[in-house]
Formats: sequence, structure tokens, C-alpha cells
Amino acid sequence: MTELFHYRQDREAYSAARVKALQALLIKKGVITDKTVDTVLDFFETKMGPFNGAKIVARAWVDPAFKERLLADTPAAIAELDLPEGMAGAEGEHMRAVANASDVHNLIICTLCSCYPWPVLGLPPYWYKDPTFRSRAAREPRAVLKEFGLPIPDGIEIKVWDSSAQIRWFVIPERPAGSEGMSEAELEAFVTPEAMMGVAVAKAA
Amino acid sequence: MLTQFEHFAVTEMMGKADTPPRANGTLCFGSEWERCSFGIALSLAKSGYFEWDEFRDELISAIKDWEDAHPIDRSTWNYYDQFLTALEKAVVKAGIISPDEIREALTA
Repeated sequence: MTELFHYRQDREAYSAARVKALQALLIKKGVITDKTVDTVLDFFETKMGPFNGAKIVARAWVDPAFKERLLADTPAAIAELDLPEGMAGAEGEHMRAVANASDVHNLIICTLCSCYPWPVLGLPPYWYKDPTFRSRAAREPRAVLKEFGLPIPDGIEIKVWDSSAQIRWFVIPERPAGSEGMSEAELEAFVTPEAMMGVAVAKAA
Repeated sequence: MLTQFEHFAVTEMMGKADTPPRANGTLCFGSEWERCSFGIALSLAKSGYFEWDEFRDELISAIKDWEDAHPIDRSTWNYYDQFLTALEKAVVKAGIISPDEIREALTA
């Protein structure tokens, strides 16, 4: 076992050295600059990702009128927020929000990952495109959600929404108990991608 | 329509053989060199030094080579090891850097 560990560390160091060498060569040749990597990653780390969805949901939690507008005309409501460009544009324009309530739980499924609104929800997990997940979630959502650790009591209706090229759905989970009086920024931390897919609920940390 | 190259590039990989590791809706890097490899590859394709699909072909074949060489014990798997191998190949194939230059830079 110890040997395996050494091997792993050597390999890490070797890979790190290879990237460093490659990056230095590319900078020397003027192909990239020392800012290139950060510029590219900035797109994934600050512009497009689940933090956008978290902002939308947190606003809906603190502002009931916004939540109503979000449900009535999702793109227009999203456009009210100061989110990076493109959120309400090319990819976000067909977005529709559905809200969980005390008597209804919503679950989003999707056949094609190209339909997944990841500028808002983040990149889909590996199982999301799995045909088994999709067909079982459509057929027996209550059983599937239970397997996700989310037993939904019989009295609560489960609605399943299939995202397509026309409409990309996302869930406004219920505001978690214990989050009373918290700021929007604090609330954002409770909104996970899974909660916006409906395979989890938002919990106050 | 996907108007952002970064958006398109990652969307293409979802659910495919070269799908990158991710956690909680975001790309998942185990270290700075992994993040760096990803950023360099995407930026070179975006600038047109090679096609993203060409790079992905290298990546898919690097993954297959690794899997063929490790049929049973896959505990040493690291996606970005294959990503880096593919990146080196793509850079050489595109004629940006020669294999000798890479060797020299590594031993320097």
C-alpha cells in the first residue's frame, strides 16, 4: 500500500511538471499569456453555473412578488436580476420555473444533456442522462426520489417535468425551516443544483 | 444555439466517453495542474489552434489506451492524466510545439 502511495505522489508531481513545462513553452511562443487559464476558468467559476440559479431562488424566497413573476414569465423575471449576459438570452430564453409547496413536489428530467440549462443549474451529474434514471423517474418518481434519500409522503403530489429543446424547467425549492430572517446572500448557500432539479430539498446548514 | 465557445465545448462532452469530473454542478479539479490543463486546452481550441473535436478524439483514445492497459485494477485512474496526454499530443499535432521542445523543457 505504501508503494502505491509513493507512486501516486510521484505521478502528481510529474503531471504538474508536465503542465508547467507546456504552459511555459506556450507563453514563450506567445500562444497564450499567464492570464489565459484564469480567463477561461472564470467563465465556469463566476459567469455560468449553479450560483446563478441560487441567486434566482434566493430572491424568490425573500420576495413573493418576484416569485410570482418568476412563475408567470420566467425569462422576464430572470432578466430583472443582475446576472451575467446570456442568462436570459440564447440559453435561458425558454426557461420555466415550477415551485414546490406543502402539497406538491416537482422533479425535472431531461433526455438530452444539450437541453440542460447549465448556465443556471450548473453541469448535470453523470446519472442525469442515464436512460434508466429518466424512464424510472417518469414512471415511478416516488420510488426514485426515495432512493435519492428523499421520501415524499403519499399526501404530496409529485409532478415530473421533461425538459426539451423548447422548455427547460427548474424547481424553486421550499425555503428551508430555520432560515428565517437570513439575507439573500446567506440563503443562496442553501440552494443546491440537486434541489433545483427536485431530487433534493433545500436545507439550512 | 450555444453562442459561447466554453459553453458549447463542455456541453459536447456531457454523457460521452470523455465527460469531465464534476461535483455539485461545477467542474471538479483535484489540483492546480488539472485546472491548468483544462484551461489551456479550451483556450487553444477557442483560438483555433486545433478543433475541439480533434482534441476530444485524442482524449477519448488516451482514455481507451489507459483502460486497455488497466483492465482490472483501476485505482490509479485520473481523468486529467489522460487529458494532459491528449493535450500534449494535440499541441504537437497542431505544430505549435515539437516533441523535442517538450522533452527539453521537462529536463531543464
